Amino acid sequence: MDMFVPVLQGFGTVLEPGNLLYCFIGVLVGMLIGVLPGLGPAATMAILLPMTFGIEPVTAIIMLAGIFYGAQYGGTITSVLLRLPGEASAVVTVFDGFQMAKQGRAGAALGVAAIGSFIGGTASILGLTFLAPLIAGFALDFGPPEYAALALLGVTLVATISSGNKLKALIAASIGVFLAMVGRDVFTGTERFTFDNLSLSDGIDFVTVAMGLFGLGEILYNLEERHKAMAAPKKVKNVWPTRGDLKQSAPAIGRGSVLGFLLGILPGGGATISSLAAYGVEKKVAKDPSRFGKGAIEGVAGPESANNAAATSSFIPLLSLGIPANATMALMFGALLIQGITPGPLLVTEEPELFWGVVNSMYIGNILLLIMAIPLIGVFVKILSVRPAILAPITVLITLIGAYTIKNSVFDVGLVVLFGVIGYLMKKAGFEPGPLVLAFVLAELLESSVRRSLILFEGDLGGVFTRPITLTLLVVFLVVILLPIIRKVLGRSKTKSQEKELVS
Amino acid sequence: MDQNMRRISKRLVGPLALGSAAAMVLSGCGGNVAAGGGGGEEDFPTKEVSITVGAAAGGSTDLIARALADGASSDLGQALPVINKPGANGTLAAKEVQSAKPDGYNLATLNASLITITPLAVGEDEAVSIDDFEVITGVSQDDYVMVANPDAGVKTVDDIKNSDEKLSFGTAGVGTGSQLAQSLLLAQIDTDFKEVPFDSGAPAVTAALGNQVNISTVQLGEAKPHIDAGKLVPIMVFSEERNKFLEDVPTATEEGYDIPVSQYRAVVAPKDTPDAVIERLDKSFKATFETDAYKEFNEKNLLTPTEVSGDEIATEWADLADRYKKLIDEYDIDLSD
Repeated sequence: MDMFVPVLQGFGTVLEPGNLLYCFIGVLVGMLIGVLPGLGPAATMAILLPMTFGIEPVTAIIMLAGIFYGAQYGGTITSVLLRLPGEASAVVTVFDGFQMAKQGRAGAALGVAAIGSFIGGTASILGLTFLAPLIAGFALDFGPPEYAALALLGVTLVATISSGNKLKALIAASIGVFLAMVGRDVFTGTERFTFDNLSLSDGIDFVTVAMGLFGLGEILYNLEERHKAMAAPKKVKNVWPTRGDLKQSAPAIGRGSVLGFLLGILPGGGATISSLAAYGVEKKVAKDPSRFGKGAIEGVAGPESANNAAATSSFIPLLSLGIPANATMALMFGALLIQGITPGPLLVTEEPELFWGVVNSMYIGNILLLIMAIPLIGVFVKILSVRPAILAPITVLITLIGAYTIKNSVFDVGLVVLFGVIGYLMKKAGFEPGPLVLAFVLAELLESSVRRSLILFEGDLGGVFTRPITLTLLVVFLVVILLPIIRKVLGRSKTKSQEKELVS
Repeated sequence: MDQNMRRISKRLVGPLALGSAAAMVLSGCGGNVAAGGGGGEEDFPTKEVSITVGAAAGGSTDLIARALADGASSDLGQALPVINKPGANGTLAAKEVQSAKPDGYNLATLNASLITITPLAVGEDEAVSIDDFEVITGVSQDDYVMVANPDAGVKTVDDIKNSDEKLSFGTAGVGTGSQLAQSLLLAQIDTDFKEVPFDSGAPAVTAALGNQVNISTVQLGEAKPHIDAGKLVPIMVFSEERNKFLEDVPTATEEGYDIPVSQYRAVVAPKDTPDAVIERLDKSFKATFETDAYKEFNEKNLLTPTEVSGDEIATEWADLADRYKKLIDEYDIDLSD
């Protein structure tokens, strides 16, 4: 039982009124920032970091963790209502979330996302509390070959997420892969498709692609539609998710939480792949997969639970190994360093109060997020009843400011506009932006991981047989690819034999 | 209905306007607003002085700029907003400040590697020269350390030299000090190796922790917690003198190798900024160096102060650039390979 004494003391720390206040401020600031695409949690934390110098370490981290959570949910709001995914892990939320909003079910989507985020996050913290030391090593077992196999598996899911024409989805995905090639080759320093433009030498930022294709593209398309038929402002029906909605999403939330927790531990790309995987799984297990992409509530519940669970479990490598899993975690690392605390394997034993204070603040942060999000849904969904003539320019403004804040670069603003036009044309021609954006994200991971693996294997692909995790992932990959084909072949021979029987 | 709508849009616009206003302030849009067209140098500064950083928020370069801005703003009596403009290893930010108005209101923090190492890996047209800037002052240096996974079975350079296995080495990427230092060492001990470039230092550390690569060369701050925890074995540092945060670890020079690679940082202004303005800025940064808060910041981030004059930095960096060029020619190293 001794183990739980510091855990309980941690709760004592968090529940001090001052700490609760900072947690509240963090969540609030995070939500506001999350609504603005581009200026993500990492940049916000960096800007607020000097503010934390004067306050207690635990308090500082509690506030930063609050920002992190709030921003996750803020991003969901814009994904569902305005089709503006601020982060790679929110892209799949757009598919069904925005469709639900179009059908007047934005409240249900946001409600389920909030509940899913809460459950996913809390489940993940429980995992963190009890399993952190046991599973931390899992992150270290993932080397370049494992990431390559994981990315390959992710690519197969790209096919799953498209609900329209498969060939068009493939074309869009290929364009995504091509866009990922732009920039300086990280292995040789060679410029690829940059046309001697220094602004392109680091490649194209995910946010510019996603905001252009989804956000601006949608606005342009809608403006055209409006000329054809004057659509009345949409009626927002039932602000709250119904009992049926909740029942339908419960299993999805459960599956998403587990997937998110496991994949979030992996530094680099874990959160994105987890939301993508959750969406793929939901579509696979659904009785009627054709509902997906047209407003299926599980398509929101699964990925949202997964990305929040992943966001939480990404603390595991930071707190137990001292590895920052992404840019935001790197800032947490920096904040701890400034406070004179070095995150790493020694943190739990040397600074138990801080360790458990941070972990327990996540429980509180999650609860605060739920308490703040649910009543505000009613306010947020009213955005949809604003006339497009007012809403569209505001959305464009947010998008462009967001694009500027990524790198303080006007060039990126131009890129968003360019991708907006491409998104509009794609939509007119019946191409979906989803496969493009996801292929774009995965191609980068896939290319660099494959090349690193080949260096390590010295060009010998047989090296994968020495890596059990890689091998397992590749087997799963083959099953996913081959199963539909085998089924088809078997199905065909069955119907053929049936026909023969009938004939004879 | 109409009234209802107005109420809604007001409610709506509230947070949005707040958000965009915050973004304006945060991104330092005010920095370029011409406030009174310069004026006399005596009353410098009359408005905020921006510091452009060629890296994303949160990295060590960014944190240093923010610590400096914090200290100097109280001495100058003006705010010093930090503007992050990442891209092309920091070239974008450097070029922007290089062509800014030389009035002292547009400063940048510069990493020596951009001047001394990056040009060895990328094209000439992209290279940045220290001659295009007025260096205000040197700031600090961040040393590189070579670390090994304990299971790799190497503890010293000689172990690497005598290893039967073909060892794998992670770096922080093409054109970084991490890559240059490690490549120079490997060329000088003449051994067979596999070099794996990562996107930055952090994934190179993670890979070494999992023995995905046997050895990595990274900045000290990135590896220190793992060295302390015994999860990584320090083999050598690449500074000329022993690093005070790792007293027991030998330098490359001590081991008999000619590898003087550290990450030096300085604050610069565009060429032809008036001397009086440079002196005023230098005074405020020197005052910052003396504060306890800043000294503590250096300690906690494992930075060694190199607070020398701007002229010294200019000659030192130019010398280093020459020296690296000669070394990679001598050992026939191609950083972009």
